[in-house]
Amino acid sequence: MAAPAYPVWVTRWVSGQWRNKKRPPTLRPPRALALAAKVANRRQEATCITEMSVMMACWKQNDFNDTPCAKEIEVFYDCVAKAEKERKSQNEDTLSSRGNLPSSKVNKLLKRFPQITRYV
Amino acid sequence: RIMPVRWSRYNPSYLEPEVKKESYQKPLEELTEEEREQMELKAVRPIKAAPPTLSSSVFSDPMISKFTNMMMKSGNKVLARSLMSQTLETIKRKQLEKYHKAPENEKVTIECNPYVIFHQALKNCQPIIGLSNITKGGKTYQVPVPLTDNRKRFLAMKWLITECREHKHRRTMMPEKLSQELLLAFNNEGPVIKKKHVLHKMAEANRAYAHFRWW
Repeated sequence: MAAPAYPVWVTRWVSGQWRNKKRPPTLRPPRALALAAKVANRRQEATCITEMSVMMACWKQNDFNDTPCAKEIEVFYDCVAKAEKERKSQNEDTLSSRGNLPSSKVNKLLKRFPQITRYV
Repeated sequence: RIMPVRWSRYNPSYLEPEVKKESYQKPLEELTEEEREQMELKAVRPIKAAPPTLSSSVFSDPMISKFTNMMMKSGNKVLARSLMSQTLETIKRKQLEKYHKAPENEKVTIECNPYVIFHQALKNCQPIIGLSNITKGGKTYQVPVPLTDNRKRFLAMKWLITECREHKHRRTMMPEKLSQELLLAFNNEGPVIKKKHVLHKMAEANRAYAHFRWW
């Protein structure tokens, strides 16, 4: 047997090179490993989609007439009015339905009390 | 000379004027708690000047005034108002003709009040959902979106007026054409209702994009 061809990782392991820090770093952080000064924008999902789809199914059956679908349309309007009221009342300090503050408010609070990175 | 100008920005403490006569003729006992508080507030706070279009007469109707304003061109309110009154008169004439020609049992179903016909026709023309352009990932999509009441009313009136202005013979007068369109809309027929159905169909076809909305 002439020089047996082992794969590269075997030779490296056997030579003990890998243990002595002569290897590429295990972790290459893409960003600095620290909390940022802002929170990501939490997107609200669209409201009243179920009611809308129910209404559209009713339309499809009744050839887009409004009179046979009056009940579904009323339900949709109620849902829209409720969502609108929720949005208006959302401008208070607590988003009570989810239990979290809206992200813009959190960002404002964080800006008021910033992280001190250096002492002067 | 001091010119009273409505368009200047009032202090937020100014209240809206109350024009209806009936609200002042109610005796004190019949008012609810809220209304009593409202009256006391009105005694203390200043009140805005009433706009010239707001009137306390029985014949004035805010929807009809809004429609007249939309029909008005370059500030010619006299012409727009005369057109509106001629339209209502034509509607009444047509309905009366139909009424007198109809047999006895059908006379009850024919609606002769032009104001009722106008309101019902507008209500039939109002779209229920609209489409709005939302850009996502470089492409603009038409997303079905619920509309506010004001927007619905505006769209209904706008469609009626554009329809009458464009698809009209050169020699037909506007009141004649408008009365035709209003009567058709009252019976859920006609090009304006068709336009509304087209909008609904497009919204239905695009219902997959409804999740792109964030409100």
